[in-house]
Amino acid sequence: MKNSGKLVSFLVPIISILLAFVIGCIIMAVLGANPFVALESLWIGAFGSLRNVGTTLARSTPLIFTSLCACFAYRCGVFNLGGEGQFLMGSIVCCYIATQSGIEGLPAIILCLVGGAAAGGVWSLISGLLKVYRGQNEMIITIMLNYVATLFMGVVYTNWLRDGSVPQTQAVPDATQLSRLFGLRVTSAFVIALVVGLLVYYFLFYTSKGFQLRAVGLNMTAAEFNGFAVKKYILMSFIVSGAIAGLGGSAELLGTQFRLINGFGNGYGFDGVAMALIGQLHPLATILVAIFFAALRVGSTTMQAATGVPTSVSDIIQALVIVFTVAGLAMVKLPGFKAFLGRLTERRKEAA
Amino acid sequence: MEFVMNIILSSVRMATPLIFLALAELYSQRAGLVHIGLEGLASIGSLVGFLVSLITGSPMLGVLAGAAVGILVNMIFAYATVTLCAEQIVYGMAINIFAPALAAFIYRVYFGAGSELVQVGLMNTLSGSLGITSDNFLVRLLLDQTPMVYLAYGLVIFTVIYFNRTKSGLNYKAVGEYPKAAATLGINVIGVKYAACVICGALAGIGGAYLTTCYANTYVDGNVAGRGFIALAAVIFGRWSGAGVLLACLFFGFCDALQIRLQVGSFGVPYQFFQMIPYVATVVVLASIGMKKAGPKSSGKPYLKEER
Amino acid sequence: MDELLRMEHVSKRFGDFYANRDINLSVRKGEVHTLLGENGAGKSTLMNVLIGLYQPTEGKIFLNGKEVRIDSPAQAVKLGIGMVHQHFMLVEAMTVFENIILGDRNTRGIFIDREARRKEILELAERYGLDVELDRPITEIAVGAQQRVEILKTLYRGAELLILDEPTAALTDIEVEGLFKIIRKLTEEGKSVIFISHKMREVLQISDRITILRSGEVVTTLDRSETDGQELANLMIGRELSPSHYEKVEEPGDPVIQLRNVDYHKASKHAGLSGVSLTVGRGEIVGIAGVDGNGQSQLAQIVTGVLTPEGGEVDMKGSKVAQFTPNGFILENVSHIPEDRNKMGLIGNMSVKDNIVLKATDSPEFSSAGGYFLKKKAIRSYALQMQEKYDIRCTSVEQEARNLSGGNQQKVILARELEGEPDLLVAVHPTRGLDIGATRFVHDTMIGARDKGCGVLLISADFDEILEVSDRIVVMFEGQIMGVFSGKNPPIEEISLAMAGK
Repeated sequence: MKNSGKLVSFLVPIISILLAFVIGCIIMAVLGANPFVALESLWIGAFGSLRNVGTTLARSTPLIFTSLCACFAYRCGVFNLGGEGQFLMGSIVCCYIATQSGIEGLPAIILCLVGGAAAGGVWSLISGLLKVYRGQNEMIITIMLNYVATLFMGVVYTNWLRDGSVPQTQAVPDATQLSRLFGLRVTSAFVIALVVGLLVYYFLFYTSKGFQLRAVGLNMTAAEFNGFAVKKYILMSFIVSGAIAGLGGSAELLGTQFRLINGFGNGYGFDGVAMALIGQLHPLATILVAIFFAALRVGSTTMQAATGVPTSVSDIIQALVIVFTVAGLAMVKLPGFKAFLGRLTERRKEAA
Repeated sequence: MEFVMNIILSSVRMATPLIFLALAELYSQRAGLVHIGLEGLASIGSLVGFLVSLITGSPMLGVLAGAAVGILVNMIFAYATVTLCAEQIVYGMAINIFAPALAAFIYRVYFGAGSELVQVGLMNTLSGSLGITSDNFLVRLLLDQTPMVYLAYGLVIFTVIYFNRTKSGLNYKAVGEYPKAAATLGINVIGVKYAACVICGALAGIGGAYLTTCYANTYVDGNVAGRGFIALAAVIFGRWSGAGVLLACLFFGFCDALQIRLQVGSFGVPYQFFQMIPYVATVVVLASIGMKKAGPKSSGKPYLKEER
Repeated sequence: MDELLRMEHVSKRFGDFYANRDINLSVRKGEVHTLLGENGAGKSTLMNVLIGLYQPTEGKIFLNGKEVRIDSPAQAVKLGIGMVHQHFMLVEAMTVFENIILGDRNTRGIFIDREARRKEILELAERYGLDVELDRPITEIAVGAQQRVEILKTLYRGAELLILDEPTAALTDIEVEGLFKIIRKLTEEGKSVIFISHKMREVLQISDRITILRSGEVVTTLDRSETDGQELANLMIGRELSPSHYEKVEEPGDPVIQLRNVDYHKASKHAGLSGVSLTVGRGEIVGIAGVDGNGQSQLAQIVTGVLTPEGGEVDMKGSKVAQFTPNGFILENVSHIPEDRNKMGLIGNMSVKDNIVLKATDSPEFSSAGGYFLKKKAIRSYALQMQEKYDIRCTSVEQEARNLSGGNQQKVILARELEGEPDLLVAVHPTRGLDIGATRFVHDTMIGARDKGCGVLLISADFDEILEVSDRIVVMFEGQIMGVFSGKNPPIEEISLAMAGK
């Protein structure tokens, strides 16, 4: 039973992706493009050359951070939708340190990353305190704080750190930028993301604290009755998930964008939520999903050039994947479906 | 005085989309369905409302189309959460991702990439269609409004009566409070939940369409700007009652109106700080209510018919 | 007497499991027909078939001689079948009046005609002697009153057949008398009642005929006049009731926990404590008897550190408890079998293995490097050992705890709570919903712990269980202690009176 459960949780996203692609192809056909040509160019755009792979991985980097943020929080039963705000607060503090402190090079990078993570953690902690001590719904609070953070970033790039006439901040000094890997677009930020992912995975599944955090997430009352410091874990999950997002914001600024500008980080928070859910809150699966999403985005540009299908088809495909996956995961939990599966396996046994 | 009157006038206007969205949430939660996907429903409603209003030249048809598409998209939510018993929060989130993506896609397909901003005529106000022009405050407050404003306030009154005075409203509430009990009394729980999704989708679609047919004359991605979530807060703040929700929406509408007015005379403060007002107000209001839990008891829980 | 209801060869299957198999049942007009059976004998399932919540897998149902299909609760209501569920189907946020008219199909019009409805309801209430306050919210009225609302609800819908599912479970003796009066009034007026219970004394008192169910099947149907309690009990359990009793301890050891004048939400009769003083010594089982909802949950949560008392003192092994946290009590070696195992005891989505070591992952036995490395192999082999020792039946220790049967879930909790040889064990309704074998296992385990020197505080609404294992019996009523009795040759009459608040 356990194996079939695992198989199902693996199959559901795969089937969802296939379904989403089928619908995507129908849309493409309706728009007058040849779906096979479009898919081919999508693939080439994302993975066709080493250079393209580099671009895809670079695109996936911030997504990995925000999805790990969501993943970590949900494991503790906290519905943190504020990944975007925490990402932005991290990048804002990072931007200050990088452009204003006068320090450059590796020390600045370390300071920037630590500062960004701290900023994300503190920003997230606000929601955490309101949840734990005022009983507030963390979803609404974190989303409201996303808007506040976005507007605050607006203040920074239109006012406080504005670079001349263009509404954007000054650029991060060359020496403070993260180095590229093998001359590709992808930078050491991607390596940091992978390391964070592995750490989250190790923490959740191989440490006693991680075990207890998951227990809190799955059944808060039972965790409390069994002596776990529930409030402490909830606050910790806010801080750590916020710090992961904040670190991501810093890494994105130092690795790819170099300046804060309108639209920086836009949508990454919700994307992270989607990817964590498709990855079923498994940190490593979540990373794969993030790379898949990034590939769709990068590839869709090539696809648009080749076939004229707008890049937003890839957004539709992504959205359909989440719509199908969540529904599919719910469906396989239904008693009726379980009975159906049971009958199938029985028949197989009888046949054998 | 002028300043105060202007703020009141614009509060009423700014509260209107929130009222539609908050009522959508109220009808959903009263049937036991927590819906955090209103932001998404409103965004697709806003796009479709805009397109139809542009094509037909009738903002009214735009609003109707917004309602229709809201219902359509919300049927996905209904099927997943009511029939498949998917987690409502998670599925609301899926709608929040799906619906705006669909809206953005349709916009790109229709207008092509990198097109110019297309504008559309807004709905006439009552005094506009009657040909009355007056600077009198009361006349402006009562007559210088689009039909949608009257509809919103009318719906609030309807909702109060419906939930407190009618048999059907009582049954509806029972579904959100204790579906199993409702079922033993012969109330069609699944049916009420689906009906709730139709109402919720329609109202959320109208709330979104309001933004492009009565408020701003164009569509941009993200134009709902968190109103779907503020509406959620308004339902909590309004203690799940029609009248309470109205007051909460007026308060948030006031915050919105205030920030717009304050931006004009910005006194050298970056305008973004004023724009934060509605969001910060939401956080402060929620934090001030504190722990007290209320609202429909079975909200958020799936209803399995043959439970074992 | 005429026959009102007949069920022929009714079966209900869930997956491969028959909850009811080939049931034949006949209920006459104006009779009280009892369904007698243990937990899990299939009584509730059968009734849910009758009221249209479940569809029978096979079989026919006749009402007044005509075959009927009851495919929804609405249909059952229309046919004149009404049920008072064990867990009341009342909407707490609404008033008595609103609950009664809920789902009303008898009247026309969109709006609620309050005056007309009130008149109808009050007339009905008068006729059957059902005393209710229409404008009070459900949350403000007592359990007995809630039950009257439920009965009135079914009558208001024109029920001819009333099904009462374990109606006395939550009532005091006085309230039970009141209920029986109402039932007699109902049958006098020609209504039929299906009475579901496993309490022999009440069954003998109220029934006209008795049908005994066992493992989903009908054993037999008997007239009240031709049977007695012993025969019914034997038929119900399927073997002779053996009066197996444990050796009772009369001289407990040093006190493990002492409560002095403990208060908690004093004003609340059903969820508070007022001036509770109580001692549990080493090597004794103190049983708290009383009807559910007289402060037992609060007592259990105070002696496990979940709640903090508002007044009075608690001594743990001779020293005063300063801070009430579950973890503090766990460190004092207090174990807890909580009242709701799914909500409070187990992490349902975690494996059996994880639930067994839930409290102990920080210990060097199961993790190293200060908790930063879990010894998965050690955890697994320990869990296998426990599975063997406590006879936990699961496909593997990796199976999710929520998929286990109630008895096996309870064994997982026992393995976790008792293996550390606690100083104090707090067990709340430890055998609720378990079959006889599992119940016996839990009792043996508790006695075993007692004999090793553990103090046991047993809280149970099952009076037989209290009598079976307690060395001392403490009766609680409305948050107060009504008396303390010896567990050896307990004065049953006196205890029953104390439980009813006298």
